[in-house]
Amino acid sequence: MGTQSLLWNSVKKFLTCGLIGLTISDRYASIVPVRGASMSPTFNPRARNFTDDYVLVEKFCLKKYEFSHGDVVVFCSPSNHKEKHIKRIIALPGDWIGTTHNSHDDVLKVPKGHCWVEGDNSASSMDSRSFGPIPLGLVKGRVTHVVWPPQRIGLVERVFPQERVSSFK
Amino acid sequence: MSPTFNPRARNFTDDYVLVEKFCLKKYEFSHGDVVVFCSPSNHKEKHIKRIIALPGDWIGTTHNSHDDVLKVPKGHCWVEGDNSASSMDSRSFGPIPLGLVKGRVTHVVWPPQRIGLVERVFPQERVSSFK
Repeated sequence: MGTQSLLWNSVKKFLTCGLIGLTISDRYASIVPVRGASMSPTFNPRARNFTDDYVLVEKFCLKKYEFSHGDVVVFCSPSNHKEKHIKRIIALPGDWIGTTHNSHDDVLKVPKGHCWVEGDNSASSMDSRSFGPIPLGLVKGRVTHVVWPPQRIGLVERVFPQERVSSFK
Repeated sequence: MSPTFNPRARNFTDDYVLVEKFCLKKYEFSHGDVVVFCSPSNHKEKHIKRIIALPGDWIGTTHNSHDDVLKVPKGHCWVEGDNSASSMDSRSFGPIPLGLVKGRVTHVVWPPQRIGLVERVFPQERVSSFK
């Protein structure tokens, strides 16, 4: 009887922790690995790393959906809803963004409710330059910190190419 | 979405529906599914419309009073309200990414006289699924 109630107590504690962990991960923040080098050198700066960087993704931003230029966000791919990508928001709704299309320069206006995302490593990044601006509804969270490996723990800075974005209305 | 939901404007209360989110595990939708999705032009708003066409389908639309055929891009779907005269849907904002879908409507649960399953119906003559 003693062993049974001990086992049951352990199972209850395990389930409670699991439930709390799941709720936190779903609603508040979670830790995810970054795959690929499209955000190099911010994440995964060297291809020969043994492990991917792990980052903290916060979901409080989804309450008000107020993003800033330079925020790094996690979003569902518009061409494959089962995939998630991590890129930086370069332009917000209503901004004019300078792009290069078929080697001639072009200026695009970001539609209402959409944003323009790009990887820090322009040479190796599938982003808005290929699939266009994405609806803000696809954004699933904002990356605030690198949490692994230990030597790269730190805040993720907000930087973006200001010379390419114009926010006048 | 009249007459499927809110069939008469003079109702005192809106219809209440059951939205299931198990569909978000596999993201496998069928023609005629009624879904809840975030508006592509205002991420704070949610809309309920019916999926008329899936990725790769050809859908017939009318644009500036001449008929047009559009191919739904990969990862997107074409949604329309059942009440075409009074519906802001893909005919205005184009196909939407499937990542914006938040759930599928399965049943009407209120008012009591309209409790029942939500049927999968769609205008088959306007959609072509050949690859």
